[in-house]
This record gives sequence, C-alpha cells and structure tokens, in this order.
Amino acid sequence: MTHVILSNLTKSFPGNPVAAVNTMNLDIPSGQLVAFLGPSGCGKTTTLKMIAGLITPTVGDITFDGASVLAVPPEKRGAVMVFQNYLLFPYMSVGQNVGFGLKMRGVEPKVIDRKVIEMLDLVKLPNIANRRPRQLSGGQQQRVALARALITEPKVLLLDEPLSNLDAHLRDEMRELILSIQRNLGVTMIFVTHDQEEAVLLANQIALIFDGVLQQYAAPDVFYRQPISERAARFFGGINFVPATRRGERLETAFGAFHVRTPGVENAPEGEVTLTIRPEQVVLNPADDENCTSGRIRSRIYVGTYTRYKIMIGDIEIEATRSGDIDHALNEGDAVRVGFPADRIWVVGRS
Amino acid sequence: MIGERWRIPLMLAPTLIIIVVLFFGSLGYGFLQSLGWQPNIGNTTFSLDAYATVLFSPEYREQFWSGLWLTIWVSLASTFISAALALMSALLLRQTFIGKKIATFLFQLNLPVPHLVIAIGMIFLFSQSGLAARAAAQLGMISTPNEFPVMLRDAGGVGIILAYLWKEVPFFGIVLLAILQSVGEDYEDLARSLGANRWQRFRHVILPLVMPGLLSSSIIVFAFTFGTYEVPKLLGVRFPEMLPVMALEFFLNPDLNARAEGMALSMIIAAITLLIVVAYMWAGNRAVQR
Amino acid sequence: MTVRNRRPFFYLAVAVICILLVLPVITFMINAFAFRWFYPQFIPAEWSLQAWERLQLIPPEGERTLTNWLALLGSSDVIDALVVSLVIGVGVTLFSVVIGLPAARALGMHKFRGKRIVEFMILAPTIVPSIAFVLGLNINFIRWELSGSLFGVALVHLVPVMPYVVLTLSGVFANYNPDFEDQARTLGAGPLRTFWYVTLPAIFPGIVVAALFAFLVSWSQYLLTFLIGAGRVITLPILLFASASGGNNAVIAVMSLIFIAPAILTLLVTSRYLSGESGAVGGFGRI
Ligand SMILES: Nc1ncnc2c1ncn2[C@@H]1O[C@H](COP(=O)(O)OP(=O)(O)OP(=O)(O)O)[C@@H](O)[C@H]1O
Ligand SMILES: [Mg+2]
Repeated sequence: MTHVILSNLTKSFPGNPVAAVNTMNLDIPSGQLVAFLGPSGCGKTTTLKMIAGLITPTVGDITFDGASVLAVPPEKRGAVMVFQNYLLFPYMSVGQNVGFGLKMRGVEPKVIDRKVIEMLDLVKLPNIANRRPRQLSGGQQQRVALARALITEPKVLLLDEPLSNLDAHLRDEMRELILSIQRNLGVTMIFVTHDQEEAVLLANQIALIFDGVLQQYAAPDVFYRQPISERAARFFGGINFVPATRRGERLETAFGAFHVRTPGVENAPEGEVTLTIRPEQVVLNPADDENCTSGRIRSRIYVGTYTRYKIMIGDIEIEATRSGDIDHALNEGDAVRVGFPADRIWVVGRS
Repeated sequence: MIGERWRIPLMLAPTLIIIVVLFFGSLGYGFLQSLGWQPNIGNTTFSLDAYATVLFSPEYREQFWSGLWLTIWVSLASTFISAALALMSALLLRQTFIGKKIATFLFQLNLPVPHLVIAIGMIFLFSQSGLAARAAAQLGMISTPNEFPVMLRDAGGVGIILAYLWKEVPFFGIVLLAILQSVGEDYEDLARSLGANRWQRFRHVILPLVMPGLLSSSIIVFAFTFGTYEVPKLLGVRFPEMLPVMALEFFLNPDLNARAEGMALSMIIAAITLLIVVAYMWAGNRAVQR
Repeated sequence: MTVRNRRPFFYLAVAVICILLVLPVITFMINAFAFRWFYPQFIPAEWSLQAWERLQLIPPEGERTLTNWLALLGSSDVIDALVVSLVIGVGVTLFSVVIGLPAARALGMHKFRGKRIVEFMILAPTIVPSIAFVLGLNINFIRWELSGSLFGVALVHLVPVMPYVVLTLSGVFANYNPDFEDQARTLGAGPLRTFWYVTLPAIFPGIVVAALFAFLVSWSQYLLTFLIGAGRVITLPILLFASASGGNNAVIAVMSLIFIAPAILTLLVTSRYLSGESGAVGGFGRI
C-alpha cells in the first residue's frame, strides 16, 4: 500500500529536442488502480520505467509515501515492472521464474518453493512449476509473469500493456484476474494501455497522455461527459464537433443557437469554442422542441443492438445512435428534427 | 521432369560428393594407413603398431605425452581466456558511447586477418627485440634484450596462446555482441526491478542468455586451436611440441614407415578433438540447465 | 547516474582493448617502412621503401617510369603469388556458392529422412582439424595427379569452405517464403526468370555473406595448400610462411600487409550484409 506522487517529472532523451515525458504531475493514492492511456510513442513506457527506477528522470521527483525514491536503485525500490512481452527467462523452469525475485533476496529455497506454489495458485495456474516457459500459451505466460512480480510483494506493481498480446477471450479472463488480485492484495497498480475501453473497464483513474504531456487525470466516466479537449473526446470515441461561439449558457452555431447547462460547464472555455455531444445523446424527433434544429438523414446503418444515423444539418454531418430495434419511420432522405439536450452538450476549446 | 523422389538427393549431391570423397574418404584412407595398410610399399595387413609406437615406444612416448598435455593446455587456456576477455569487452562495447563505431571497427579488425599473420605479429611484438621489449627498454625496465622474458618459443606455449587471444577475442566478441544486441536489455531491467543486483544480473541473466552462443563458438575455437599447424610451428619449441606439428613431421619424414605414425597421430588428434567437444557440450548443457 | 561516474574508466578500458588488438597490424605498418630500426629505438629513426623495392613491388628510386612499373607484373614473386591466391580464392568462391545453393535450399526448406546425418556430415569439417584428413588426401591426390596443380589446391579448399557456405545459405532459406516463386510462376515467369527475378534478390544478402566466408577461408589456407600444392602452387601464405621463420622484418611486414589488405577490404565492402547472429560468423574462427 503505497501512495505515489510524480512531480514535474520530465525525461528528455539525448539527441531528441522534444521531451518524451514533459512536466508530469500525478497523485496516485494508495491502493488505486490507475491507467496510463495514450497513443503509441506518447511516453507511457518511459514514465513507467522512471517509476521503476530503470530510467533516470531529467527533471522532477518521484515519492513513495512522501519519501523521494530517486536515489533508490530499481532493485531496492519495490516498484516491480511486468513487461509487455512477458520476458520469462527461457532457460529457467516456470517455478524458477516465479521464484527469481526471492532468490535474489537470498530467501531459503524451501520457503521459495512454498511461495511459488502459492503464487501460481493465486494466478490460477497450479501444477505447472516444472514446465518450461515455451511450453505455455501466451495467456499462461502472462500470468506467470504476474506471479513472478507479485511474489516479491511489491509496493507498486507496474504493468506495461498487460492485455495487448492476448486474444479477446483471454483478455476478459486476465482482466478479471487483475481486478481480483488488486482487490485482494490492495497493492497500488499502474498499467499502461493504448486502448480506452480497457482503461475504462479496469481503472479507478485514468491518466490521459498525449506527446509526453498529461492531458486529463480523472475517473473513467468523466472522459465521456467532460473531455478536456477535442482530441481527448475523439480518443474516447467522440465524433460530433461543431464550431460555436459561447456566451455563458448560450451557444451560437451555423445552424442555430443552443443552451448548455451540463454540470461543470462553468469551467469550460468561453468565446470561440467547439460544441460536442456523444452520438448516443443526440435525440431524433424529440417530444419538446427546445435545443432543436432540422436535418436530413443521409444514411442509416443497422448494427444489431442499435442503429447508427448520419444526419446532414446544412453542410455539417452529425452522428446519432438509437438503441433497440430499427425504426422504419426514419429512412434515408427523410427530414428529421435533431435535439441536443442542454444537460448533455459539452464545450471544448477550438483547436 | 525429374521425379520428386530424386529432387532432394540431387540438390545435395554436389556438396555431399565433395565432402564424402575429399573429407570422409581421406579420413578413412588416413585411418587405414595408420593401421599400417600401405599397398604401395607392400603392406596389406592391419596392425596397431603405429599407435603403439607413438603412444608407448621409449623413442616417442615422452615426446607424444608432453606434446599432448601442451596441446590440451594451449587449447583450453586460449579458449577460456579469450571467451572471458571477449565477454568483458562485449559488455563494454554494447553500451552507447561517443566513438562506438570506431571502437567496434578496431575491435573487429583482426577477424579477417589470418592466424598466420597474427602469429608473425606476435614475433614483432613480443620477441626479445620486439616492440614490447623496446617499450620496456625505453621505460628503463630492462637494459639488454636478453632481460626481456622469453614469451615466444617457450615451453609453456605462452606465445601460441597470445596469438590465439589476439584472434579469438574479436571472434567471441562479434558473436557475443550480436547475442546481447538481439536480446536487448529488457531481461536485465526486469531482473533489476525484481531485485537482482549487478552481479546477480550477470550471473543469472546475462550468462545464461549468452551461454549457448558462447558454447558453440568455444567449440569452434577449441577445435581450431587443437588442430592448427602454422601458429605452433612459428611460435612453438621443438620440445614439447604441439601435436599437429609433430604429426606433419612424421608424415614428411623420408622414411615411409614413419608415415603410418604421422597418420596415427593425426587420427589421435581428431579423436581427442571429438571427445573433448562432446564432453564440453555435455558439461555446457548441464551448466545451462542449472 | 552510476554510469556517468564510471565514464573515464570506461573509455580507458575500451581504448586499451582496441589499441592492444590492433597492435599487430600497426607493427606491420611501422616495420614495412622502417629502415635500420635498431634496438632499443621505439620509433624508427629512418624510413624507407627499401623492402618494397626488394620485393619488386615498386621500381627503385629514380627509375619509377611507367614501363618499369609494368615490368614488375611479370617479375615479382609477391605479385605472382597474389594472382595465384586470387585465382584460387575467386574460383573456390564461385564454385562453392553454385554447388552450395541447392544443398542449402534442401536443408533450409525441406524435411527429409536422414537430414540430421546430412547436416552432420556437412558440418563435420568445421570440427575435425584439417591435419586429420589432408594427410590421407595428400597420398591420393598424388596418385590421381592432382597434386601440385591449381585445380587440385582449389578442390581441397572446398572442404573447409563448403560447411560455411551451406550453413549461411540454409539459414537464409529457412526464413524464405517459396510462395513468392509460385506467385511468379502463376504470373507467367519460367523457372529461370523466377530464379533471377524472385529467388536471387531475396537471398542475395546471404549469397554475399557466403561468398565472403568462402573467399576468406580459401585466402587464409596454409596447410592444405602446402601439402597439396607440393611446392608448385605458391600462394601468399606459402610465400609468407617461408620467409616468416627467418627473413628480414621489413620484407615480412610488407608481405603481411599485402596479404591482409584484400581480406580487410572484402570484409569492409560486404560488412553491411553481415549480421553477427548468423551461424556463418563461425567462419571467422577458421581464418
Ligand atoms: N532509449 C530511448 N532513446 C531515445 N528515445 C527514446 C528512448 N525510449 C523511448 N524514446 C522515445 O520516447 C518517446 C516515448 O516512448 P515510450 O516508449 O515511452 O512510448 P509508449 O507510450 O510506451 O509507446 P508504445 O505504446 O508504442 O509502447 C518515443 O518518441 C520514443 O521514440
Ligand atoms: Mg510502450
């Protein structure tokens, strides 16, 4: 149980003018499961390695429970990393792999053997201690790598893309396992992913990172309701963006004026902004006519559990989805009233 | 159309014919000759006389056994010392540093330089009037050439071992650098994060990872140093004499009966090489398993 | 952090290793141009081209006319030996790659009964010392009248060369996708054009590396040439070895330089195709 704080954490690699990680400030409370989310190359692994001590920051500090750990070498830091490609030592048995960390600490072989069995049980892989890593499937290897990290009772567990090499079905299983271990052991966990869905499903808090800069640090639902920028909104599947001018609650767009009363919007930008609304919040032919405009249905695609409409309002395309069965009253080419509920509209700065 | 059945044999045939006729054929022929079968001088019976002469006769036995120990000592010492030095060098050279390209080039410069030339280089460097002796004289450590220690043509084979070091350190080095580069540093980072200190990372991560490559190149080096002729001929002494030099001297002896002894000696060299290679592989595999 | 503190020591260690290793080559360069370099001078007091003139590699001073330069071609033993070495080396290289290609393809791409045995047989010459087979071969070559001929020597060089050629190329074929050839055939290319336009470009880097080792291994052979050449095929190593045990230092140094220059050059030209991971680097242990 460790409280991790990153302050002004920065890493520049020699020969590269752009910092891989730039002035990152992050407070990770004890026992939390935090996701570092961002596109490839944005500095997630670099940050993780700095926390583990494998990369020295150019500027900034890292504290565990209030004490700086910068001077603590990785082997003493207690921040254990699980690499994306598992990296099971090919020349050791599974049991030897899991016991590695204890062996390095000079723990008695008998104790190691017992703990190895405990750990393999914990990751639901009993009776494979004598096998070789190459005899295991990808999912099994991943779990052995997890057991190998957990056996040292780390203060912080760092997982680099723990699910990305697994197929969809194994992914669900692994996700469950990570969640249950986290709940049982209460260890502070940070994992890296470039998949927003995975971050949402697993994390208590998500740190969204673009180009080495922390964009937004919040609970998963906030990224859907109150994204910090158009880019953040797009990363979470946002698709409707309309240029607007904002004065208080009033938004002027090319196809009419709207009111916005979503909680938290007080702190969003004013003036030249972009209006955004998630497709599932757009209402077609609403009962009351507030915050409405007229459009024409350009296409209708039935996706099984919902239907996706593309609607042209002037020359702006808006997407709307409706759950349930297909509605034969709304066909391609039909005129339609389009409602943007005032408590669902969100505003981001113009980019 | 050539039948499917014959395609693979035909593809292999030219290479196999060369190997079978020239290599295995000669090896077999040499073996027969070592058993005293020399139809051209009228010997068509088989005997182990040549082996007995080389191994046990009062005339040769001292020469043979001292030569055998010297050869084993030189080969093992060259192999182990150069492997160890190369591992140290590779661990340095794999890091990123200014001038890495030049350093790597210089490190590998001796790879295409033949053993014969390196042996000559050793004479220029380490003979009693060589560069090392001159350096010692300039520094006032010696005053006449005779005071410089005899490093070449010495009974302990030091000169021969030196020549092999100069050749085999870069050889092991290129193999090790390639392995270390393809493995990357992730395994070490991981071990570090699991609590392994510098020595433990070397012992439990780097060493087992490079061991298979180190082992197979050691076999090549050992076999080569055990059976090569020109280096010990140039840098060795008459007694004790390395086995390949001894074998050739027997063979080139105008007395045709000595030829069988030369053949026997070359068979013994081949057999010992194979024996040690097999033992080495076995021991190496066990070391990796642990 | 720890790395930075070790830097001076680190550079010192790297410098010591590299300088020690290149010392032999450096002494050749000094000796080749040194004149009356008496003990205990560390650096020669006088320099000259005398050894080069003695070996008839350059005309004497004052007579360096074009005709005299050309006249060297026929009169210098070193140049003669260089040519013999080159002819044998190039011949061995070409022949070994041509016959090694199909064998490597069979071993790299096909499974067949007895494959392990074939592999073992082809690799055996890398472990068994040359002295063990060349003595028997010597007698037979004399009987077959191949002894003392360029052809005979080239033939024997194939024994240490073939394993490395086959090893390199079979490694390439193991990672080669034959579907490209089938694709080319369905697009209308005949077997020859398929080989030329599809197979060859794909395996070209492997061929370069195989050729490199074939040449270098042949180039550096002493014992095989000595016994099979029977004093009539004089390659550079034969010439060098003969003078090494008691010649003039400057002359030995010049011949050594001439001997290693083409080898280093070949390696430089082909090095971008060479990765230390292929089994072929084992060939360096044989040079
Ligand atoms: N050792 C290094 N030397 C130089 N630049 C580096 C080094 N490691 C990473 N970088 C650079 O730093 C940036 C961030 O890399 P990082 O590996 O942290 O990205 P990532 O977010 O983990 O990406 P991915 O999702 O692809 O793993 C990249 O632009 C990368 O090129
Ligand atoms: Mg990464």
